[in-house]
Amino acid sequence: MTGRSTSPRNAASQEEPIIYVVDDDASVRDALRNLFRSVGLRVEVFGSGSEFLQSRHPDVASCLILDIRLPRLSGLDFQVELAKAGIHIPIIFMTGHGDIPMTVRAMKAGAVDFLTKPFRDQDMLDAVTAAIERDRTSRNEARILADLHAHFATLTAREREIMALVTSGLMNKQIAAEIGIAEITVKIHRGHIMRKMAAKSLADLVKMAQTLDIQRAAPPQ
Amino acid sequence: MRNQLLKFRRSAEQSLLGGMALASLTAACIWLVLGPAPEVADYLIAVALLFALFLALLIVMHLVGSTHKQMEAALASRASAERRAIQALRESEAQWKEVFEHNPVMYFMVDADGIVLSVNTFGAAQLGYRVDELRGQSVSKVFFEADRDAVGQSVEICLADIGQTHSWEIRKVRKDGSALWVRENAKAVRRQDNHLIVLIACEDITEHKEAENALRQSGNYLAEAQRLSRTGSFGWRVITGEIIWSDETFRIFGFDKAPSVALDRIIQRIHPDDRAGAQQTIDRASSDGKDFDHEYRLLMPDGSVRYVHATAHAVTDASEGIEFVGAVTDVTARRQAEEKLHEAQAELAHVTRVTALGELAASIAHEVNQPLAALVANAAAAQRWLDRDTPNLQEARNALVSIIDDGNRAGDVVQRVRGLVSKNTDQKVSLDINEIVNEVIALLHRELLSHRISLRTKLTPAPGVVLGDRVQLQQVILNLIVNSIEAMQPVTGRPRELVIRTQQEEAQQILVAVTDCGVGLTAENANRVFDAFFSTKSGGMGMGLSICRSIVESHGGRLSACGNGGLGATFQFSLPIHREDNTP
Repeated sequence: MTGRSTSPRNAASQEEPIIYVVDDDASVRDALRNLFRSVGLRVEVFGSGSEFLQSRHPDVASCLILDIRLPRLSGLDFQVELAKAGIHIPIIFMTGHGDIPMTVRAMKAGAVDFLTKPFRDQDMLDAVTAAIERDRTSRNEARILADLHAHFATLTAREREIMALVTSGLMNKQIAAEIGIAEITVKIHRGHIMRKMAAKSLADLVKMAQTLDIQRAAPPQ
Repeated sequence: MRNQLLKFRRSAEQSLLGGMALASLTAACIWLVLGPAPEVADYLIAVALLFALFLALLIVMHLVGSTHKQMEAALASRASAERRAIQALRESEAQWKEVFEHNPVMYFMVDADGIVLSVNTFGAAQLGYRVDELRGQSVSKVFFEADRDAVGQSVEICLADIGQTHSWEIRKVRKDGSALWVRENAKAVRRQDNHLIVLIACEDITEHKEAENALRQSGNYLAEAQRLSRTGSFGWRVITGEIIWSDETFRIFGFDKAPSVALDRIIQRIHPDDRAGAQQTIDRASSDGKDFDHEYRLLMPDGSVRYVHATAHAVTDASEGIEFVGAVTDVTARRQAEEKLHEAQAELAHVTRVTALGELAASIAHEVNQPLAALVANAAAAQRWLDRDTPNLQEARNALVSIIDDGNRAGDVVQRVRGLVSKNTDQKVSLDINEIVNEVIALLHRELLSHRISLRTKLTPAPGVVLGDRVQLQQVILNLIVNSIEAMQPVTGRPRELVIRTQQEEAQQILVAVTDCGVGLTAENANRVFDAFFSTKSGGMGMGLSICRSIVESHGGRLSACGNGGLGATFQFSLPIHREDNTP
């Protein structure tokens, strides 16, 4: 639908965010498109959940505005479908009538906001801004984690072993003794690790190890 | 004695004649002795005289004898005439007495104090008495205690007006206590002895009186029955224009009782709105002489309105022409009760309508909020397009166009809901049934979607016009669709489909059918679903379909239900197609 290919990862946070609208009512869809366009936001609209699922979604900060009373596949069911499909996107629900049970279900399932129709434009824009910001953050976090995993994947088995020992607080000499190699060799490995992991300092590397959940007791194979 | 008298008379005549002859002889002797001397010898004269005398005596004797005979004959005939007269008198008296005693009229002769001087046998017998049991008694004996004063007054009137006949009707009492009705003709007369008496002739009119009473009673019963049933009767002779009313008819029309009534006056009393119609019916009846039956309202002088139903049967008489005999019933109470019932039904229909809308509130709110949300968003967008450093007028204009559409759309929904909530129903106008169906579908669009029901409509193109109340018919269709939605609630594993169909049948009526594929309907329940308080739904009040049926019936149609054999049920109703020339 968007016709865009997935953007390079490092450029994602700078890319223009996209707002997706799913509502079966054409006039509501068009009005929302008009509203977001008037504030210079990029918007994609869909008449049904399946239409949305069939489209391609560039990896940019985005959010989904969903009518809770969608025909056929209701907004809530659609929320479940998205989770199954591994699409993690902040969802702002719209409803024509304040349904408490529905609201509770939606919020539990991770909806970021809930707007009752008719809503104030500013409320919608604020909700969208917050959702995009949130998505941007989570996307960044995900990206960092992914980079980390990628860096880690480039380490040799020996390097991974040494990284676990380094980040557990052992001195080079202790490590050399532990695994039975020369201290100088440990030093060389350590240099490789710092470079490959793009760690600026030992503290940086320790944090990475924590994020990657690398422990001495269970060194990776 | 009579013979003795005759003998005595005869001897008296003979003595008289003998005496006269002796007197003549004596006079002759005296004349001979003392008178002038005769020329002839005295003795000759004397002899002659004697002879003459003797002759005279003989003649006289003969004359006397014949006269005597004649007299005797005359006397005898006179006596027989007398006897005959007496006989005749006796016979006449007996005859009159017979008449008096046995004439089938009761005769009483009473004195001024009311004592019976005489009474005829028939009269006494009629009362169960013998004559001597009444004679000398007070006449009040033969009257009821209660009537005695009246009797006294009547007698007084007669006594005050001597010679004039007065008559009255009164009850008399027999010796055995039973009553008889009599008409008494009485007058007072003064007797030769200067006493006033009252002669009374009484005629037994018991049978007549009973017949009259029976007639009066039957008349009273009829009048009472008319009063109770608020039904008056009338007769109308068309040629003469004569109209005869019963008391109740006068009461119904609020007119004072009169021997006859003018048609114009009746027409004037009819409510102005009904006057032309009633006049038309009357005109038609008077020209074609056929039975008629119509209902109209009367506008009474106090401004109140009466509902009247009149029905008449034509009786045609060769000489008199057409005559109508009819009945007028005051049906105001019935009409008012019907109106109250109608109001109650309308109220109930309204309540169920509002309840139904309440159940659809979420869907309807969505229907209103959709355009409102779009409207607000478009307005905000327009504002922002204009607030830009270089305002984008085209975008703002586009947004405004959308705003107008959205506003109208929201307005339409509100209008529809307000119509259904309105109490002001029962305004029968010409309607396109497809339009009504589409309006209801528009209101239920969201409800159908949220229940994942696919709707198929098969509406006949250009259906005939029906005469009906828009809101009421919307209510029926709404109710049937909502029922179908509920019936399809438990359906899983197959599509939930609702089919709404309109179809023209034989150019007479329009059929509207709502078919679902829900839980279906047993043959037993197919009729019961229309009963009040019958519900197959746990939360149902059981009034919906009952009200639908009464609405459809009040539109001259029929609402029915049947199972679809396999799955689901069909509820359908037909309405008569309205034509302009149809007089309702």
